[in-house]
Amino acid sequence: MDFTFSDDQLAFHDSVKGFLTNEVTPEAIRDLWQRDGGRSDELWGQLAELGLTAMTVPEQYGGLGLDALDFVLLAQECGYAALPEPLVETVMVAVPLLAGLADEHRQLQEHWLSRVASGEARLAVGHPSNPLVADAHIADLLLLCHGDEIHAVPAQQVQLRASESVDPSRRLFAVDWTPSDATRVAGGESGRRLQAEALDHGALACAAQQLGLANRMIDIAVDYSFERKQFGSAVGSFQAVKHLMANVAVKAEFSRAVLYRAAFAAARGQANAAIAASHAKIVATEAALLAARNGIQVHGAMGYTWEVDLHIFMKRAWALDGAWGTRGFHKARVGDFVFADGAPLGAGATFEAR
Amino acid sequence: MKISFSAEDERFRDEVAGWLADNLRGEFESLRFRGGPGDEHSFPEERKTWERRLAEGGWTGVGWPGAVGGRGLSINQQVIFHEEYARAGGPGRMGHIGEGLAGPTLIAFGSEAQKARFLPGILAGTEYWCQGYSEPGAGSDLANVKTRAERVDGRWRINGQKVWTSLAHESDWCFVIARTEPGSVGHRGLSFLLVPMDQPGIQVRPIEQITGTCEFNEVFFDDAVTDADNIVGAPGDGWKIAMALLGFERGVSTLGQQMQFQNELDQVIAIARDNGQAQDPVMRQRIADAWIGLRIMRYNSLRMLSGPQDGSLSKAAMIYKLYWASWHRDLGKLAMDVLGPEAEILEGAPYDLTRLQSLYLFTRSDTIYGGTNEIQRNIIAERALEMPREPRLG
Ligand SMILES: Cc1cc2nc3c(=O)[nH]c(=O)nc-3n(C[C@H](O)[C@H](O)[C@H](O)COP(=O)(O)OP(=O)(O)OC[C@H]3O[C@@H](n4cnc5c(N)ncnc54)[C@H](O)[C@@H]3O)c2cc1C
Repeated sequence: MDFTFSDDQLAFHDSVKGFLTNEVTPEAIRDLWQRDGGRSDELWGQLAELGLTAMTVPEQYGGLGLDALDFVLLAQECGYAALPEPLVETVMVAVPLLAGLADEHRQLQEHWLSRVASGEARLAVGHPSNPLVADAHIADLLLLCHGDEIHAVPAQQVQLRASESVDPSRRLFAVDWTPSDATRVAGGESGRRLQAEALDHGALACAAQQLGLANRMIDIAVDYSFERKQFGSAVGSFQAVKHLMANVAVKAEFSRAVLYRAAFAAARGQANAAIAASHAKIVATEAALLAARNGIQVHGAMGYTWEVDLHIFMKRAWALDGAWGTRGFHKARVGDFVFADGAPLGAGATFEAR
Repeated sequence: MKISFSAEDERFRDEVAGWLADNLRGEFESLRFRGGPGDEHSFPEERKTWERRLAEGGWTGVGWPGAVGGRGLSINQQVIFHEEYARAGGPGRMGHIGEGLAGPTLIAFGSEAQKARFLPGILAGTEYWCQGYSEPGAGSDLANVKTRAERVDGRWRINGQKVWTSLAHESDWCFVIARTEPGSVGHRGLSFLLVPMDQPGIQVRPIEQITGTCEFNEVFFDDAVTDADNIVGAPGDGWKIAMALLGFERGVSTLGQQMQFQNELDQVIAIARDNGQAQDPVMRQRIADAWIGLRIMRYNSLRMLSGPQDGSLSKAAMIYKLYWASWHRDLGKLAMDVLGPEAEILEGAPYDLTRLQSLYLFTRSDTIYGGTNEIQRNIIAERALEMPREPRLG
């Protein structure tokens, strides 16, 4: 039993964290809000240069051939930074989905995955658990679900209708397109399996970001609790304020192991990966939502302003709460698992891979 | 005990409903269900016109005593008025700070001349008020007010800054807590001043909220002036009056607020029915909890309002802010959860929130303004339960 990350994983994490801290500042995010499309090709180029877009692309297509466990710490940092670019969804959902297609689609995979790895092309995923498609406007290829099927549709063949999100960083689109034999890349049993995996990966991707968001909001609120003085003291010195943040810390800290366990299950393709992902999404989301609520509370009226950065993170947590399955959906899955005949529940089954 | 309305009350209900049906239409139709929590910035001019219509019908100051021009309704009839107003979708009241806070304070503490000068404008819907309490350094620690006022040439001259002043940009008057005794600290040396907003010494700057709209403001006083008579009570009485005013916030105006809550809950229930969430047992229980909580508030308000006014129900009054604020905050979250994955999608661009999204965001502030939840708990513990005081809360 070993929950620690390797030195390589940790070193890469540090360098990515450093990059995000310097480049993806709240000011930079607010800047992107003002731009048409809300995205920066330059930033995407930098992320590709760091090797991030290549992380989960198989080596044969010019990628690094890594997995969810290698990326989960980075996904957390993307949450911590509230990175507007769809890196986490690309690496954890879109690339594995494309790479998971049957061998007959090697050409398609090679064409697109090599370009994703190098940063020349971008992907977006339309999945029934999300009413709209995030970042469809910058995608060169869209992977769209249709019944049991999955279709790979080049950007030229879709029409987009933009919707705004409560999170001004998110760009959402209704996609009009026509499924055809030419675009179908999976169907039937394999289509269902790939869709189910995409959902699990999406939930895991959200969970990782939610934990990062929770930690960011804790840090912001704790800092503020030093700065803000009332009754002659830093408000952080009041027990009631301490308890607000301590309650968040407990949730955030305890969701960490759940997240890593889920990343492990995903990376190893374990049969329980779905339940592990649901578990992670539930607890990490609850941590982030409480961090948002209590973070605002610690800020008093300041926390209710557009100018204070807290809402950048709070709104992302809110948006991700509903993405890739709500808490209600994931809790129901856990419930079904617990009550299934012969469910591996007892002592000794904690880490069972079924 | 008697928990029912009389035949006369029911006739009154018909009268209110009839008046609203006849008047809340035409040019006012589009105001139905608007201007509530999170939506206060909407249609200010139209809602002021509506206030004047209400005034013509005799529906402002319904709980004020007849002697000062109010309608002097019984508690029962006030309840009925608020129920019918909410049922008809009556717009959020632009005049609520004047009618609910400034007016009752003047009625309780103002001079005859002040009552004669200010109450008619509130009742007629021609003069609007804002509340100048909070400052950059005085939030929870309200007694730390630094804004100064001094007597110069028969007037008060005011210097300092207020912040978070709701609707200051729509207001004609502000009641300001200012330090009138130089060198004083804490509760002592504060006075309650009535200050006209339209003057060169006052600058109002909007503050953008997380909703992307601006309902509150910074207000700068730079040699602002008001007449010497525009002080309520004596110099130094400011704290006492300021606190009494907060008590009015927990009075009859809560009835209207609860009816607003009921409308919001009804909307959530309707959506749940519509989108199938009503079949989800967890959601059903949460909605049931919300209903339970709202009824708790309602019964308790009615008990407080109809009971002896000798302070014996003051514990219930102290608990009220904490209870409704927490309940409303949870309702905001419930609304989003009922919407599910659709919850994040805006009505339109740019940053045009749906009513429920506004509600969700606005309810993040309910546990902050008018005394934060933490401060409310301190008050309950120290005043209601008489537990030992916090070391620093003087
Ligand atoms: C939407 C909105 C509208 C408002 N409208 C008005 C208005 O019209 N007029 C007006 O005057 N003001 C208004 N306010 C201001 C409001 O009254 C203050 O926000 C409130 O009093 C809290 O002060 P603060 O924001 O400075 O928070 P702070 O006092 O800085 O509090 C920060 C945190 O510290 C905690 N804290 C502080 N002291 C203690 C303590 N002793 N023990 C435990 N915890 C403590 C608080 O609970 C909070 O969590 C409005 C605020 C909002 C959000």
